[in-house]
Amino acid sequence: MMRYFIIPLVVLIGIVSTGPSQASYRETFEKEFMLSPWHIAAGEISACIQCHTSDNMGPEMHEITQQWKESFHAKHNVSCHDCHGGAPEDASMSMMHQRGFKGSPKDLDIPEFCGTCHIAILNSYLKSGHGKTFIETGEGPNCVTCHGSHNIQRASMDIINEQLCSQCHTYDRAQEMKQALFMVESKLSNVEETLDRLKLSGINVDNQEKFFYRNHAGFRALSHSINVDAVRIKSGDYIKKLEIIESEINESFNQLKFRKNFYAYLLLLFIGLSIVAFLLSKSYEQK
Amino acid sequence: MWGKIIHWIEVRIGLEELVNKHLREFHTPKGATFWSTFGFVVLIAFIVQVITGIMLLLYYIPHPEYAFKSVQTITNEIPYGWLFRSIHNVGGNILMAAIIIHLVHVFLRVSYKKPREITWVTGVLMFFLVQFTLISGHLLPWHQTGFWQTTVTSSVPAFIPVIGEGISSYLRGGEFVTGVTLSRYFSFHVVILPVFIVALIFLHVLLIRRQGLSTSAIVEPDTDTAPSDEFRREVHLESQPCFPNFATKRLFIVMSYCTVLFFIMTFFPNLFLPAEANIQADPMATPELIRPAWYFLAPYQLLKIIPNDILGISLITIFCVVLLFWPFFDPTDTGRNIHKRPLLLSLALIVLVLWAILTIWGMYS
Repeated sequence: MMRYFIIPLVVLIGIVSTGPSQASYRETFEKEFMLSPWHIAAGEISACIQCHTSDNMGPEMHEITQQWKESFHAKHNVSCHDCHGGAPEDASMSMMHQRGFKGSPKDLDIPEFCGTCHIAILNSYLKSGHGKTFIETGEGPNCVTCHGSHNIQRASMDIINEQLCSQCHTYDRAQEMKQALFMVESKLSNVEETLDRLKLSGINVDNQEKFFYRNHAGFRALSHSINVDAVRIKSGDYIKKLEIIESEINESFNQLKFRKNFYAYLLLLFIGLSIVAFLLSKSYEQK
Repeated sequence: MWGKIIHWIEVRIGLEELVNKHLREFHTPKGATFWSTFGFVVLIAFIVQVITGIMLLLYYIPHPEYAFKSVQTITNEIPYGWLFRSIHNVGGNILMAAIIIHLVHVFLRVSYKKPREITWVTGVLMFFLVQFTLISGHLLPWHQTGFWQTTVTSSVPAFIPVIGEGISSYLRGGEFVTGVTLSRYFSFHVVILPVFIVALIFLHVLLIRRQGLSTSAIVEPDTDTAPSDEFRREVHLESQPCFPNFATKRLFIVMSYCTVLFFIMTFFPNLFLPAEANIQADPMATPELIRPAWYFLAPYQLLKIIPNDILGISLITIFCVVLLFWPFFDPTDTGRNIHKRPLLLSLALIVLVLWAILTIWGMYS
């Protein structure tokens, strides 16, 4: 009788004890199929952030990481190396130029530095009065003048304000630009808010979001041209495109309404069936 | 035509005899009320979960890069995929609630006493397994809520001394919740646990069929006597045939289950799918509030309020073991009428009130 217990026990111990010898297989399996991209994502944060928050660094360096953590970039997983280059997964090589480390840009290089990602905005800016002045004289507004550097927040219409703009010129011109942007910007903000609402209700809005952000980026690039006439002329096109998204949004809301009505119909059906079943059970009880 | 079909089946499988033997001749006691039908609701709710689960399985992809997208596709692209997903999601929670109601009812009726000890043990085992099945199911859509709930719940076994870390690590397949965890939880949720649950259901139902349905010692005081040492089906003088009398009661309660299901889906569609459950899992973005599912809140809160982790996990383990083997802890010479057992009634009420307090506390802390 005992052999029925001993044999499986021996087999079980055998399986468990051979576990470590299979570690290399498991490691390969996990790296190949399961951990990516989470494994890399976990590594990215370690080298830059760990070093810049260590005691070896001064308070101004600590502040940089803190500002980044609260930024719009951090919320969207745009990490240190996405702008500054380098190898965040390897502390010893993280700041080697051979590994693509760019460090901090000089003032004149700032537009190109940010333009690595914001390509359309860079092109628009370079053709604008702001960009031409900055490139020719080295003075005038560049990206960080209006948006800051590490504590970058989501840009809104509020960025055009008297305090900021009147540092270089009168506010009248800026105000005219703000008025020209207003209609499309408010529509952009409404559509984005509704898309978020739909997304959180479980509706897949990937396609609408892609279309939205393409237009959003296009309009933002246009606004960096600081050309009031161009903005006014093209606003109509953007409004039409946003209305296409709005009509799709309405369809999604109709779909949500249909689901609710469908559930409600089934609810009524089962309430009716419950009543029938209850009366039936009571009638059999009386018999 | 209909008669011919019935006759064709009758000749081959003896349908008439089958119905007579298992439904008409199987009598249920007078004390079998609507509350006694909750076990049947659990069975139906489980079948609903299996059917909707299979429908979801046709399109679900258990990989971190595709899991969320595949669930989004099921909900938005596949015809009526939203209906199956919603029923599976809400149905799981109702299943858990029905099990708890059934468990409390059986306890308060003291139906677990001899000869029904094994029935109780299999029932409580199913309660634990269903709980783990639901918890493992939370991770599968790979959304923020499920990802972080799993991070929390899979760390609970780590409090057990010596073997705890190993259990947590085994569940996650490593130190953190990753694709390996998703793969494991998928296996647990879809194959391993359901196989055990189905086996236990068979055993549980077989025992009920053999021993007969338990009755209330309050309604039928005759049953409050010491059971025989030999196998003997209880005799109930005022019993009724299972079909149609008790079957209509079951029908009513199953219809009520469907009503509750669609009531929640109509008026509270996001009750078990909060906004964060529509955002893809992001290990780099910890939500402000991480809270396990409602049925796991009480043990979770207990662990939070007891400063000593080992003491907390020991209390939970002891409670689970005592609950599982309760029929063997309950003195054999005591009766089944709960009104004559104030200590047992107080114990049940204290446990229920504590569970409710811890759950509400966990919900708002």
